[in-house]
Amino acid sequence: MAERRRAARHNHQSLAQQIVALALDRGLKAGEHMPEQAIAEACGVSRTPIRAAFKILEKNNILIWKEEQGYFLARSAQEGLSDASIAAADRDQGLFTRILADRAARRIADVQSVSALARRYSASRVEVLNALKILSRDGIVSQLPGSAWAFQPLLDTPPAIAESFAFRLTLEPQAILTPGFALDPTRASALRAQMRAFQLLPDGRLTAAGFQRLDIDFHVMIAEGSANRFVQGALLAHHRLRRMAQKEAAPPPFRQRQAMEEHLDILDSLERTQLELAADQMVLHLRRSGIRRPETAGRGMSALLRGAQPAPARKGPAS
Amino acid sequence: MTRPPVIALFPEASFGAALNCVGIARELAARGAEPVFLCHPGFTGVFAEYGFREYHLQPEAGAVQARGEAYWQNFVNTHLAHFDLTPQAQLEAYVAPTWEAIVDTVIAVDDSLEALLAQIQPDAILLDNVIMFPAILRCGRPWARVVSCAETEIPDALVPPYLSGLGPDDVAGRALWEKAASAALRPAHHRYNAFRRARGLRPLPQGQFLECSDWLNLLLAPSAVRYRRAETLPADRFTFLEGCVRDEVPFDPPALPANEGPLVYMSFGSLGAIDTDQIRRMIAVFATIPARFFVNVGGFLDEYREVPDNVFLGSWFPQPSVVAQSALFIHHGGNNSFCEALFHGVPSLVMAYCWDGHDNARRVQDTGTGRSMHRSDWSPDGLRATIDALLKDRDLRDRLAAISAQMKADPGVVRAADAVLSRLGAR
Repeated sequence: MAERRRAARHNHQSLAQQIVALALDRGLKAGEHMPEQAIAEACGVSRTPIRAAFKILEKNNILIWKEEQGYFLARSAQEGLSDASIAAADRDQGLFTRILADRAARRIADVQSVSALARRYSASRVEVLNALKILSRDGIVSQLPGSAWAFQPLLDTPPAIAESFAFRLTLEPQAILTPGFALDPTRASALRAQMRAFQLLPDGRLTAAGFQRLDIDFHVMIAEGSANRFVQGALLAHHRLRRMAQKEAAPPPFRQRQAMEEHLDILDSLERTQLELAADQMVLHLRRSGIRRPETAGRGMSALLRGAQPAPARKGPAS
Repeated sequence: MTRPPVIALFPEASFGAALNCVGIARELAARGAEPVFLCHPGFTGVFAEYGFREYHLQPEAGAVQARGEAYWQNFVNTHLAHFDLTPQAQLEAYVAPTWEAIVDTVIAVDDSLEALLAQIQPDAILLDNVIMFPAILRCGRPWARVVSCAETEIPDALVPPYLSGLGPDDVAGRALWEKAASAALRPAHHRYNAFRRARGLRPLPQGQFLECSDWLNLLLAPSAVRYRRAETLPADRFTFLEGCVRDEVPFDPPALPANEGPLVYMSFGSLGAIDTDQIRRMIAVFATIPARFFVNVGGFLDEYREVPDNVFLGSWFPQPSVVAQSALFIHHGGNNSFCEALFHGVPSLVMAYCWDGHDNARRVQDTGTGRSMHRSDWSPDGLRATIDALLKDRDLRDRLAAISAQMKADPGVVRAADAVLSRLGAR
C-alpha cells in the first residue's frame, strides 16, 4: 500500500514536470487558463492524476487556483518557468531524491544495505526499499544477492562523461539514419521556439539547469524519433541517467548559445528530410560538446615531461 | 574600410593564464578588435567555448607523451613529496626540472609557432608565459608581456627573488637563495640561451628566461599587494592592473544536507587536486566546522567516499562566481586565485604547493589580506582554529571590502585592453 502511494507520488511529480514542459512547449503566458480536460488529454492521462499534479504545481507557485474558475499559469518562460519546474522537483525531498543527491555527492558508499540507509534517513525499511525500487527503474541502483544494493556509476566524472559522449556518438547518428525516423512536428516546433528564446536570454539568465533541460529534451526527441526500438530504448535510458546526474557546471554563454544553434541546424535538416546531413551535424555537435575541461600542462605539470627525479622522503603530517 | 586589429593571445598551458587572457580578449572584442588564441595541445576547445578562434601548436613528433593513467601515477609518485619541501629545497627537486621542461616546450613548438604567426599576421601578440618563444621576436610584430604570476617575476633590488617565498627585508635569505637558484637553474638556462643563439637572438642574463617588452608589459599585481621598488617601472612600458578577473556564468550553490553557515571555497588548481589524501584530511576537519565547504577536486571525484553533509565536491566550478559568494577562499597561492579573492573582498588561506604560490603565501601574510599555512604540516585543531579565526575577523573583512571596491572601480581586463589598443592607435 505504502509502495503504491509513494510510486503514485513519484508519478504525480513526473506529471507535474510534464505539464510545465507542455506549458513551455506551447509558449503559454502568465495568467493563461489551464483546463484540466485539455491538459489531461495532452498528457494522455485521466483528470484525477492531473488534479494531483496541479496541486503540486500550486504548492510551488507555478499555478494559481481561482475559486470556480480553475487553475491558471503563474509565470511564463520569460518569467522563469523553466527554472521553476526544476526548483519544484528539488524542493520535494522525497526519500529517493535525497538518496540520489547523496549518492551524486559521494556521501553514501557504492554498496548499501537497506538497514544502513534506513538509519541514515531515519526511515523505515519499507520506505527505503520503495525508494530503491524507484531508483532501480532508472538503472541508478541494482539489487545484489542478499539485502545489499549497488549503485551504478553516475555520469559525472570526466571518464564517465567521455564514455557517455562516445556512446552517444555511436548511437545518436544511427537513431537518425535508421529507416523510418520520424520527428514529432509539434514537439519539434515547440522546442525550436524554446531554444530560440534561450539564445536571446542575457548571460546572467543562462543557468546550468536551464541549459541541461533543453539539451536533454532535444536529444530525447531525437531518440524518440528513431524507428529502431533498441536504439531508442538504449538512448532514452541513457538520457534518463543524464538527467539524474549531478548538475554539471554550465559551459560559457557562447558555447551554450552555439550548442542551441547546432540543435536548430539539426532540426532544419531533419525537417527537410536531409537525414544524412542531420546525422553528420549530430556528430559535429557531440564532438564539440565533448571537448570540455581538458587536462592542463604548464608550469605545474610540465616537470612530468622530464620523467622522474628521485623524491625525498615525504614529510609526515603533524596531526 | 580598415580591418579590425588582430591580436594573438598566447597563454601558457594553465587555466590561470588561459582565463586571464579570455577576460582580456572579451574586452578587446568589445572594442572592435579580433582576438585569436594560440593554443597548446591539451587546451583545444577551451577558447572556442568562449567564442574565440583557436590556432593549435603542433609540437615536434615525439615531444608530447600521452597523459594516461600511468602519466598521472608517475606524477603522483614523483612530485607530491616535493610540494612539502621548502621553496629552497624545491629548487633542485621541482623548479629546475620544471624549467628544463619549459625549455623543452619552447624548442618543441617554436617552428609551429613561427608558421602560425606567419599565417595569422597579427597586429600584436600578448604573451602570458614565463619564457620567450623566439618565433615571437623573430616575427617582428609588437608584443606585450603579461605577467600573470606574482609581481616577483619582474626583479628589483627591493622585491624578493621570484619563487623564493621570502619577505622583502630578508637580506641573508636573499643571498642564499640567489646562490642556490643560480646553480640549480644554470643547466636549463644554458640550454635555453643556446637555443636563442641558434635562432639568432641575444642570450639573456643569468636566471632570466623572458625579457620585458619594449612595447607593453601588463602586471596583474593589485595595488594592495604591490612591492616597493628601488627602480620604478617606466609607465610608458609597464601597466599595472588591478588583477584580471573575468565574469563567469552564475553559480547557484546547491542546498546541502547540512546547509548552515558561511560558504568556504577551496581549490588548489588542477595540480593540487591530485593530492587526494591531503584533501581528504582537510575534508575530515571541515566536517567539524559549522560552515558549507565547496571543494574543487578536479577529475578525482570518484576518489572520495562518505563526504560529510556540509561539504560539496565538484570537478569544476565557475571560480570567480563562487569566490564572489564566499566568506573564505582556501587556495594554493596561484596568482589568479589570489587576485580573485582580493577582487571580491574575500580572505585567503594560502597553502602553497610550488612556484609563485610561495611568494603569494608570504605576501598574503605581509599585507594582512589573509593567512598562510604549510600545505600538509598541520594538525586538525590548527587548521580548524585558522579557518575559524579567518571567518570571524571583522577587521580583515573591512580591509578587504575597501580593496575590493578599489579593484572593481578599475577592472584589470578593461585597463589591459585599453593599453593594448591605445598603443596600436586603434581606439
